[in-house]
Amino acid sequence: METNPENKQKASYRPVVGIAIVSLLVCGLFFPLLVTAVGQVVFPHQAGGSLVKLDGRTVGSELIAQGFSQRVFFHPRNASASGVDPDITVQDAMSQVARISEASGIPVSVLQQLVDANIDASGRLVEVQYVNVLLLNIQLVQDYPSVYSAYA
Amino acid sequence: MIDAIQAAYVVAILGAAIFSGWLLAPYVVGVYNRSPGRLDRFLDPLENLIYRVVGADPAHTMDWKQYFLAALLVNIVQMAIAAFILLFQGSLPLNPQGFSGLSWDLTFNTVVSIATNTNLQHYNGETTLSYLSQMSAIQFLQFTSAATGLCAAVAFVRGLTNGSRDMGNFYVDFVRSITRILIPLCFVAALVFVALGVPQTLGGYVTVKTIEGASQTILVGPVASLVSIMQIGTNGGGYYGANSAYPFQNPNPQSDILEIFLMLLLPTTLCFVYGLMLGKKRETRPVLFGAYALFAIDLIIAFIPTSTLNSGMEVRFAGFWSAFWTVVTTAVTTGSVNSTLASQHPLVVLSAFMGMLIQSTPGGIGAGLMYMVMYAVITVFIVGLMSGRTPEYLGFKIRSRDVLLVMSAFLIHPLIILVPTVLAYATGAASTIGLGTNSLGFTQVLYEFTSAAANNGSDFLGSMADTPFFNVSTGVVMFLGRYAPMGLLLALSGSVIGRKRSPESGLKTDTIAFTAVLVGSIMILVVLTFFPFLALGPILSYFQGNVNGLG
Repeated sequence: METNPENKQKASYRPVVGIAIVSLLVCGLFFPLLVTAVGQVVFPHQAGGSLVKLDGRTVGSELIAQGFSQRVFFHPRNASASGVDPDITVQDAMSQVARISEASGIPVSVLQQLVDANIDASGRLVEVQYVNVLLLNIQLVQDYPSVYSAYA
Repeated sequence: MIDAIQAAYVVAILGAAIFSGWLLAPYVVGVYNRSPGRLDRFLDPLENLIYRVVGADPAHTMDWKQYFLAALLVNIVQMAIAAFILLFQGSLPLNPQGFSGLSWDLTFNTVVSIATNTNLQHYNGETTLSYLSQMSAIQFLQFTSAATGLCAAVAFVRGLTNGSRDMGNFYVDFVRSITRILIPLCFVAALVFVALGVPQTLGGYVTVKTIEGASQTILVGPVASLVSIMQIGTNGGGYYGANSAYPFQNPNPQSDILEIFLMLLLPTTLCFVYGLMLGKKRETRPVLFGAYALFAIDLIIAFIPTSTLNSGMEVRFAGFWSAFWTVVTTAVTTGSVNSTLASQHPLVVLSAFMGMLIQSTPGGIGAGLMYMVMYAVITVFIVGLMSGRTPEYLGFKIRSRDVLLVMSAFLIHPLIILVPTVLAYATGAASTIGLGTNSLGFTQVLYEFTSAAANNGSDFLGSMADTPFFNVSTGVVMFLGRYAPMGLLLALSGSVIGRKRSPESGLKTDTIAFTAVLVGSIMILVVLTFFPFLALGPILSYFQGNVNGLG
């Protein structure tokens, strides 16, 4: 790296503006478009928002809470940092079992087993025990079509 | 308190960041020393094309003024480009939701915020910004502010290195920061985020009929590419208003751990880069150990109370991961959040303040390292005064002008935090948006300007602060908080070039003893400067909480 005296650049605005525009093209367009292209090909489900289907119809995203108010369903939290927390604690889920059982006729023990079987595996690793509300409810609809015929 | 497994996670994540930083540092040094590397075959032709097109001569070298001016001017032009996109997004492509342009004051605040690596957000991205704005205004500036931070730190260290003749070439450093460090790291990270569930699409929001028959809009977009640079670049500005509490930005504990690790990666790497570039590996000790010792103090304060799940948190992160994140995001001045700050215990908030007031634990990319060296120079000077020796750092004598520069860089920080905090109350701007004069209201206003000045970006207020007063005042504070210390510290470093170095006879600065003195003097400087204000904010909240049974 030699200092080149005849090349002492006077305060020139061309590199200033040029670098700003090149960085816009590289960082603000090329990069996000490249990640979009590769992401869509390699992980299309996640890249599209982890959408879930029930009987072939898209009913939501497994990562975004949706409203449940009927007594036969597990209910999400009403207040959270994001407002769309898709999970509830196992304790919360268990406390809803009696209501669901009463409204649906599904035995309490079966519902408890369902909650247990749905505890998130990655949550267990970090000692946070939770279940995904939408996935639990989809399983209910699939396992008990007669009870949930209005929703399938 | 935290349990043994949680403590093990903390140690493992911090350990992984330090180990990865040690591994990555030689490569980073090679990037700036223009050492031959494996990527040269692909990148050399591309970079040379860029230099030719923009008319920058890579052989040209700069003194500190030219370097700083180039950085400042390039950043200002980048802000102008992003401002154009935000103002006119309504008429620009990639706007499937049809969002209209932003107001002038919100535009000003946003471009300064992202370009200065602050990422204070007075808007909710998902209801305000088009896909083009998210990519070509926000992600664009997140890359360039991280690259500018890297350049400033590298130029700063070059000036301090014995035998150096110049600060390097800003354009070359800037381009290589992007092509050889940020884009490769972010590309890998972004794909991992997609695999973990972070969306990356330009297809527009998806409207579905839910199981109970209601209509729901799923807010997807080019999120993963933004999350990668917002964390790696210690930016912190989220795609969504709820930031990394929003499940699409941080879907599970794995993504949470990865995001925490990525925020720590480059600031930690730079501690190793410091010793390597100086040619004195042991000088990494005070900056790395000093930073992590202060970081440990912050963590201990935050972990005194047991944080439990509440309505401002997400179930998948519960209490511990929310509190841990809050300390990390302020320790490296990233500013992303995975819970609402209002949901945090006052001691966690106090710890967050500490990170932002010190700014080098290990601090934001580049800025953190420069502040740590600033503290080291101040410490050497104080020790010199006490022992009656001529203060020397890295073998050069510290002159009165040097002390003036470092003290100015240090004192800007309280000035641009405390004056606008007073103004917010005096002008009625705080009460207009419903902030009281109690300890909670004061905490929120003080936090806003502390976060702006430290170029952190976490905040209590969010889009509530989208008023002309807060947009303009925090915009000015962020600008000064970024460029004034950067210019002053580059001036210090530039003035050391060519200065006579004595063989290492003075105070040894690469020892554990000096590190301890450094940590002590940082605590004294920072805590004493801000203690009265912290006492009126989070500390008072803590005691009031105890009295009211809420602690």
